[in-house]
Amino acid sequence: MRDTLSTRFLGRTVLLAILALYTCYSAGPFLWIASMSLRTTSEISANAYALPETLHWEKYIEAWTGSNYGTYFWNSTIVVVSAVLALTIIGAMAAHCLARYRFPGNRVVLFVIFSTLIFPPQITIISLFQSLVEYRLYDTLLGLTLVYIAIQLPLTVYILEGFFARIPQDLYDAAKVDGYSHWEIFWKITMPVGMPAIATTVILNFINLWNEFLYAVVLITDESNRTLPLGVQKFMGDQLEDIGMISTGLMIAIVPVIVVYAFFSEKLIQGMTAGAVK
Amino acid sequence: MAVVTLERISKRYPGGDELAVDDVTFTVDDGEFMVLLGPSGCGKSTTLRMVAGLEAVSSGTLAIDGVVMNSVPARDRDIAMVFQSYALYPHMTARDNMAFGLKRRRMPAAERERRVAEVAEMLDLTPYLGRKPHALSGGQRQRVALGRAIVRDPKVFLFDEPLSNLDAALRVSTRNELIKLHQRLGATMIYVTHDQVEAMTMGTRICIMNRGRLVQVGPPLGVYRDPADTFVARFLGNPPMNLMEAAMLDGPTVRVGEATMPLPSRVDPSRLPRTGGRVTFGIRPEDLYEQPPADIAERTAPLPVRVTGIEPLGAETLLLVVPDNTEQEIIARVDRNSTARPGDRVVLGLDTASAHLFDADSGVTLDRH
Ligand SMILES: Nc1ncnc2c1ncn2[C@@H]1O[C@H](COP(=O)(O)OP(=O)(O)OP(=O)(O)O)[C@@H](O)[C@H]1O
Ligand SMILES: [Mg+2]
Repeated sequence: MRDTLSTRFLGRTVLLAILALYTCYSAGPFLWIASMSLRTTSEISANAYALPETLHWEKYIEAWTGSNYGTYFWNSTIVVVSAVLALTIIGAMAAHCLARYRFPGNRVVLFVIFSTLIFPPQITIISLFQSLVEYRLYDTLLGLTLVYIAIQLPLTVYILEGFFARIPQDLYDAAKVDGYSHWEIFWKITMPVGMPAIATTVILNFINLWNEFLYAVVLITDESNRTLPLGVQKFMGDQLEDIGMISTGLMIAIVPVIVVYAFFSEKLIQGMTAGAVK
Repeated sequence: MAVVTLERISKRYPGGDELAVDDVTFTVDDGEFMVLLGPSGCGKSTTLRMVAGLEAVSSGTLAIDGVVMNSVPARDRDIAMVFQSYALYPHMTARDNMAFGLKRRRMPAAERERRVAEVAEMLDLTPYLGRKPHALSGGQRQRVALGRAIVRDPKVFLFDEPLSNLDAALRVSTRNELIKLHQRLGATMIYVTHDQVEAMTMGTRICIMNRGRLVQVGPPLGVYRDPADTFVARFLGNPPMNLMEAAMLDGPTVRVGEATMPLPSRVDPSRLPRTGGRVTFGIRPEDLYEQPPADIAERTAPLPVRVTGIEPLGAETLLLVVPDNTEQEIIARVDRNSTARPGDRVVLGLDTASAHLFDADSGVTLDRH
């Protein structure tokens, strides 16, 4: 009895230590940038790791107004929010059909969708560029949104299909008997019951797309169409050696990700542990 | 008013090589409580799901009140179903679970509230209406599932083993509540179970299935007394009917082990095999007596046996016995004060009026109907 208790205690301690180390490892750089974002470059070069003495919040205003941050931010928001919205609805519908309906070739379709995940993005980017130019979507936010939907859809469908397939069939049968159509059942059963998985894909897609650089840099040229990652790059170029200002610019770009994560993370954790609990 | 008619219904699942339901025909009359009974995998759920419209009918005609339902989707059939898993919507409160079907039917909110409250009251669910399913006990979940069906006031209620997840005591009380509910609502109900006690106590009629086929339909005691074949004979009754090999002799009489006895009175002589032919002889444990009561003494035949085991159950005692000149152990249900000991040789009295004969090969009854 005492033996098992002390082994459990030891196990917990080791686990905690590992988690603490990992937290430092992943949160450290972020906190460092966060502290630098409130310090001036001369303060930073005096001591790179010190905590801010006076909080220079005005740097945020300076970073925002000193460049085109407003435009970048707005562009990113439009592109990412509409892409995530479309991904969630289209992805959930596709996953619902693949998980709930028996039709010939069901598994083949899923396999083809899944297999596109293994190709590196560089393979498709030239042909995507060509297609967008042809459809006059090159260097437009709409074009970038469509591309974003396309690249994130396979993973979205894959995650959601796995979760939806585990929702008990009886729920669907009960809803049918209660008088609901396929369309209504999707909205009233699959979406709410699948919420943990949907939150997972929303966070994943939002973070991936908010930080997306490769497609944006190839498919967007005009200053007025730049998204945040492109803006941050330009900002860093403009600010040259001004580490303090660059940190401030980076923080502005990161904040929405943190907000979205905080908002959906409870659902996300439910989603990740759903298999274990059931 | 609802009469459910199944006519030559068959079901083959895609990719399945055997028929899950094979040429089943029966009618459930208005207000009847029909129990579908059979061993696991015999096609009970499949039959019920076809009535519900959750599985397509492969061939045959399914009608409710004379209207063919084969291609009517589940949502337009006006049936309600209680599932073994209860299938409560996990994201909705008990109240919303019960109101879900009413919402779809565009019932005014006030009327809906009233119905839900009324049914909740009837099922003692009022204190739990605001809770979600995960915060309810198994029995409460079961009642919410039941309530969800009742508020709908459907033409037909379908139940697929709704009690099998409850513990023994709760199962008995819920069983009785369901019986009362049926009497009160007077609705047509089809109830699937593999529990013969449920079937015997709840059904106005029971419909016994085996390997996708319908074996026998009838009132519980009728089926118990006159089983259509050896499958039904052994499936209904606990302990099951004793079945022994027997031979036809002149007279005509039947020979079971050492004992020669007159033909069971219910047997149809025209269906018997010739003298010397084999038959299966069936006798229920309660129709074997250590001391036959006076009123049936003159129709009992002696069966000499060796006692191999005793199971005193309190209210009664089961004797495991081997009739002389056979290898087969059979069971006799005798008085609780029996003094028999293993190894004893006794002569049991066999009530020939309650004995059955079955065809030795097909197992089909040779009794008169
Ligand atoms: N979706 C399905 N696809 C293929 N075969 C199925 C399917 N559902 C059931 N079956 C088969 O059909 C037969 C009848 O199944 P069914 O579920 O109706 O049995 P049951 O009588 O309800 O059994 P239980 O008492 O175990 O619930 C079984 O052999 C089963 O394997
Ligand atoms: Mg079943």
